[in-house]
Amino acid sequence: MSYRWLIALAACLLAAPGLSQATEWTIDHAGSRLGFEATQSGAAFDGEFEEFSAVMRFDPENLDQALFDVTVDVTSFDSSSSDRDSTVAGKEWFWFKRFPEARFVTTEFRALGGDRYEAVGDLTIKGIGRQIVLPFAWIIDGDQATMQGDVTLNRTDFKVGEGDWAKGKTVGLQVDVKVRLALKRS
Amino acid sequence: MQLRNSHTRWGVIAKGFHWIIALAVAAMLALGWWAHSLPYSALKVDVFWVHKSLGILVLITMVLRLGWRLVNPAPPLPTDLKAWERAAAHLTHYGLYLLLLAMPVSGWVINSAANFPLTVFGWFDVPAIAPPDDDLKELASTVHWVLAWSIIAVVALHVAAALKHHFLLKDDVLRRMLPFARLGGKANSE
Repeated sequence: MSYRWLIALAACLLAAPGLSQATEWTIDHAGSRLGFEATQSGAAFDGEFEEFSAVMRFDPENLDQALFDVTVDVTSFDSSSSDRDSTVAGKEWFWFKRFPEARFVTTEFRALGGDRYEAVGDLTIKGIGRQIVLPFAWIIDGDQATMQGDVTLNRTDFKVGEGDWAKGKTVGLQVDVKVRLALKRS
Repeated sequence: MQLRNSHTRWGVIAKGFHWIIALAVAAMLALGWWAHSLPYSALKVDVFWVHKSLGILVLITMVLRLGWRLVNPAPPLPTDLKAWERAAAHLTHYGLYLLLLAMPVSGWVINSAANFPLTVFGWFDVPAIAPPDDDLKELASTVHWVLAWSIIAVVALHVAAALKHHFLLKDDVLRRMLPFARLGGKANSE
């Protein structure tokens, strides 16, 4: 093998990340929250999933290469209510034993103008996958960024709350998911 | 029909408060026991919601009732009562007022400590009066249970005394609280 080949190969390897990859970001969990808001007997309550991890690849100039791959430990459901938190562990709700994780994997990104974007992706909860669209704002400040996204889900699309719970009278069907992430460039 | 109390009988407003609270207490005990006996389910949460909504309304009504009682003196007790009977009557009445205030407050504490949101029949939201706390929730639940039995005991005494006045002493003590009854017992009020 000639030196020329080696040099060409090295150049390709060095150039590759810059060419083909959007920037990777690491979540700063101290400043991040995967929250939700729902209603119970007609009144609002809120909570969060304390444990989640994600591959966050995002560059506004290179949306084709962007990817969010989020894994949520649903057993970390915390609504500061031991009654509610233990209820949702059950088979009719999240069924922690069988489905401890939820996942969101994006398939497409669209720019909405300014700092606004939307991510189309597959959300899987309790083993049921649905395509959702997550609108979000992504604001970059040097090596840091914040991501803010809100999406309203119908919990029965994922069979979260079955039987009498699926009627929506006792616990509302709509759940507002609120994603607030603080990120650092990897 | 007289709104205010007179020297011989309770006015329409005091009677209204008395009988509304009496019905509410019966309904609350029934709803509470029923909800408590149900397995965890949407129905249980729904029944408790009605129980909690009514409970807040009972608390509001009791505050108004005591306010009315303060500005509108009660008709005096019959003059021929013995000292201990007067003491027992006052103790029972004030005890009931206290219990009927403490009962909804203890329920409100349970709901708050459980961090459940509360809206009264969807009409208005009720804020929490305690932080989320399992130990506090257990304590308030015990208090709620003890108060339930205390109310049953004191109401039993209250009803027994009213019946004694009516059937044994044959005075107007019961009649003057009944919605449509005419006075006609022994004229032994002052």
